[in-house]
Amino acid sequence: MPVKPEAVKELEREAAKCRRNIVRMIRSGGAGHMGGAMSCMDILTALYFRVMNIDPKDPRKPDRDRFIMSAGHKCMAQYAALAERGFFDKSLLDTYGKLGTKLPGHPDMHKLPGVEANTGALGHGLSISVGMAIGLRGSGARVFTVMGDGELPEGSNWEAAAAAAHYGLENLTALVDDNGLQISGRTAEVMNMEPIGRRFAAFGWAARDIDGNDMSQVVEALENLPLEKSRPTAIIAHTVKSKGLTFAEGKTEYHYWKPNDGELSAAERELDEAIRIGGAL
Amino acid sequence: MDAKYSDPRKIFGAAVCEEAAKNPNIVAMSADSGGSSGLSGFKKDFPERYFEFGIMEQGVVGIASGLAATGRVPVFCAIAPFVTARPFEMFRNDVGYMRQNVKIVGRNCGISYSDLGSTHHSLEDFAIVRMIPGVAVMAPQDPEEIKSAVRAMLRHTGPVYMRIGNEPIPELFEPGPFVIGKGRVLREGGDVTIISTGSLTGAAMEAARLLADEKIDARLVGMPTVWPIDRELVIDCARKTGRIVTLEEHYVIGGLGTIIQETASEECPIPVKKLGIPHTYATSGPYRELLAYYGLDPAGIAKSVREFAKG
Repeated sequence: MPVKPEAVKELEREAAKCRRNIVRMIRSGGAGHMGGAMSCMDILTALYFRVMNIDPKDPRKPDRDRFIMSAGHKCMAQYAALAERGFFDKSLLDTYGKLGTKLPGHPDMHKLPGVEANTGALGHGLSISVGMAIGLRGSGARVFTVMGDGELPEGSNWEAAAAAAHYGLENLTALVDDNGLQISGRTAEVMNMEPIGRRFAAFGWAARDIDGNDMSQVVEALENLPLEKSRPTAIIAHTVKSKGLTFAEGKTEYHYWKPNDGELSAAERELDEAIRIGGAL
Repeated sequence: MDAKYSDPRKIFGAAVCEEAAKNPNIVAMSADSGGSSGLSGFKKDFPERYFEFGIMEQGVVGIASGLAATGRVPVFCAIAPFVTARPFEMFRNDVGYMRQNVKIVGRNCGISYSDLGSTHHSLEDFAIVRMIPGVAVMAPQDPEEIKSAVRAMLRHTGPVYMRIGNEPIPELFEPGPFVIGKGRVLREGGDVTIISTGSLTGAAMEAARLLADEKIDARLVGMPTVWPIDRELVIDCARKTGRIVTLEEHYVIGGLGTIIQETASEECPIPVKKLGIPHTYATSGPYRELLAYYGLDPAGIAKSVREFAKG
């Protein structure tokens, strides 16, 4: 069933507000892993504002859906969504990069409500998610894991992928934020893991490709899970790195962004405008 | 000595089953390793709580963390280097840093896979696992102590690493309650203290008897928790006997001996002699012969203690 245009519009506006939160954190900390946080922001917005069963007032409720940011360096996207969704006071965003912050450069579940795992070292999130999905079988709770395309060469991912299929974990969805870039350049040139969907399918997953920055496609994919009964689902979300900041889109050098004041102000202006006109970038 | 010998893996597996009958959250995980870890009984008694993964130890440790996050108490047992050295980052981040209630058990510890060579020896596990904050490191010493250690491990909330051997071991002392972080004086003596852990405590007891025949009166301490160390008892030994010999089936650096040295040096600096495997890739051969080759049989231990006590 297609998603109503008004609902898409509203989610796009939330995504723009979340992207603005990312820039707010970077103003606080002076630098951060911006590119990947921006590319997956539409996915997280759809999850946090529409798809997942979560409650900011009861972040540990037992039947909640779990979100795992396997590519932990994209955590600003998660912080942005959690703040916008009311899991913590937005003033915490202004502590990013400061001594003793609850918003470290990679997420810490003991510091911030809504964070389920301490990721950052790549190739860990999917295994943790598989364990959660096994533990939650039959409870109705689901597990959503965002992975980066750059972390796919980590062998541990494929151990977890095999186990997920072996145990038929239909309550597990992995979303690969396939922005095609990593620190050293184009992912396909650094270590080619294409075709990503077919690799997951070969491991026994149901897989599909979407445009991960098209909100209606993202919502439609997330609201039709599992893709196949008794199989975990892999959604390969084709995205644009640094999505939302025109000057940085699709450029490797914005993986980790240490902006000067001019760039920072330009980013703030662009996202403020996006929020004002209603979101779509 | 007329003692009853038991397979530590079978004792371990039976003890896990006993606890699992009382606690439905306990689950067993296998990396093609459950049967040889004494967990066949668990698979039979609790098939829905037994998870086979095949050979993927990194994956299993991460998956254990996720299971623990949903309230399960996972027990993962396999060959010691494959649950410590190989998945170290998963142990450190997914279990340690996430403070998950996961129990990781390394079997065939030390050089007990004697003839299989260095890939299958585990001589650095104490050193690397104790570096993960919040993880208790245990090495029970006889069959009854393995049982009580398993009970303590499964009733403790938090990550634990336990190591057991595979050679049949005798009953060594009267059973007592297992308190994580506590050692026990097994024999009083005033000339020197031997502090031993895990698989070598039986040999230490025999060595103490040999030394007694020569009028060397050794205090013997069994230390089934390597970390956190029983600080009070170590300091007491340092004060009372002035010299400590440590004994472990581990490299002489980084393990129990190093921990005892660190502890004594802060409050009561005294000479400490560390017995174990030298920091190299151990040779291979039949287990008892290998222990004797490295001076870890009763005669070898007695010889080292004798020389050190006189020094």
